[in-house]
Amino acid sequence: MLAIIVAFLKIGFLGFGGGYAMLSLIFAEAERFGLTVQQFADLNALDGIIPGPIAINSATYVGQLSGGLGTALAATLAVCVPSLIIVPLYTHFETKLNDHWQVPAMLNGIKAAAVGLIMAIAALLLLTLVFQVTDITRWSGKSADWLSLLIILFVAIADLRWQINPLLLILMAGLLGGLSYYL
Amino acid sequence: MQTNWRLFKVYLLAGTFTFSGGMAMLPVIERELCQKSQLISKDDLYEYTTLAQTFPGVIALTNACFVGKKINGTSGMLVAGLGAILPAFVLMSAATMLYQQLPQTGVILSVLTGIRAASAGLLFSAAYTLARYNLRDFWSIFLALACFGLTLFNLLSAPTLIIIAAVVGLLVNWSQRKEFH
Repeated sequence: MLAIIVAFLKIGFLGFGGGYAMLSLIFAEAERFGLTVQQFADLNALDGIIPGPIAINSATYVGQLSGGLGTALAATLAVCVPSLIIVPLYTHFETKLNDHWQVPAMLNGIKAAAVGLIMAIAALLLLTLVFQVTDITRWSGKSADWLSLLIILFVAIADLRWQINPLLLILMAGLLGGLSYYL
Repeated sequence: MQTNWRLFKVYLLAGTFTFSGGMAMLPVIERELCQKSQLISKDDLYEYTTLAQTFPGVIALTNACFVGKKINGTSGMLVAGLGAILPAFVLMSAATMLYQQLPQTGVILSVLTGIRAASAGLLFSAAYTLARYNLRDFWSIFLALACFGLTLFNLLSAPTLIIIAAVVGLLVNWSQRKEFH
C-alpha cells in the first residue's frame, strides 16, 4: 500500500498537462502495480464510461485492483496532494507565474512528449491485442486477431471523423465482440 | 456554511455528469457559479482554469480548489475539491468491484476483447487530437517522435522522458529568445 501511495504521489507531481499525460505515467508503473496490458486497456475503457477526471478514475481503479477499497482511497488521495499543496501556496504568494517564460516553455516540451507517450501506448496496446506480443522486438507476425484490428481502426476513425460518443463506441465494440463468440 | 454547501453541491453535480476528463465540468461550473449564484466572475474562473493547467496534478481538482479558495477560503477549497472527486471515486470503485467479479471466460471474454480494442482505438484518437494541438514546430515534432520510439522499444521510462522534455522545452525557448535579441 505504501508503494502505491508513493507511486501516485510521483504520478501527481510529474503529471503536467492533463489526464493522458498521467495515464502514460500509470502505464509506465503498471508492472509494479501488477497490472496487465489487458487490465490497462479496460481502465481506459472504464475512463470513457465513468464520469470524472481521468487521473482520479485511474488511481481508484489501480488501488482497487491491487488492494481493495482502502488502497483505492489511499491512491486517490495521493494523486490529489499536489493540488492541495499548490493552491494555498500560490494564493498565499500570488506571484504572477505566467509572467515567467520558463513555465509555458517547459509545458510545451512536456505536451509534445505526452503526444509521443500516448501514441506509443496506443501502439503497444495494438500489438498486444492484435498480435499477442507485449514487446515489439518479439513480433513474429503469426496469429493475428483481425476483429480487434478492425475495431481499433473503426473506433479511432469514428471518434475523430464523426465525433461519435465514446460511450456508444465502447458499447458497440463490446456487442460486436460478444457476437463474434457465437460465430 | 451555506456557501460551502452550495459549492459542494455544484461540484458534486458537475463531477457526476462529466465524462472522459475533467475539463468538461467547466460549462456546468460557469452556469451555476458565475451566472446563477454569481459567486465568482467568469474572468476569474477562466484565469484559474489556465493556471490549473500549468501546474502538475489533477487539473479539474486544482481548478476546483482555486475557485473554492477564492470564494470561501480554505474550507471552500476543501469542499469544492471533495465535490469534484467524490463522484469519480464512488462510481469508479463500484465499477471496478463489478469488473473484478466478471469471469473472464467464454462470451464475457469476447465482449471484453471488443471493448479493449475500442479502448485502444480511443487512445489513437486522443493521441492524434493532442498532436494536432501541441505539435506546431520542428522541436515539438522531434520530441514527440523521440518519446514514441523510446517508449515503444522500452528504452527510457515515462517519468524520465517527461523531465527531459521539460528541459528541452526550456532550452529551445531560451535559444529562440537569444536569437530575437
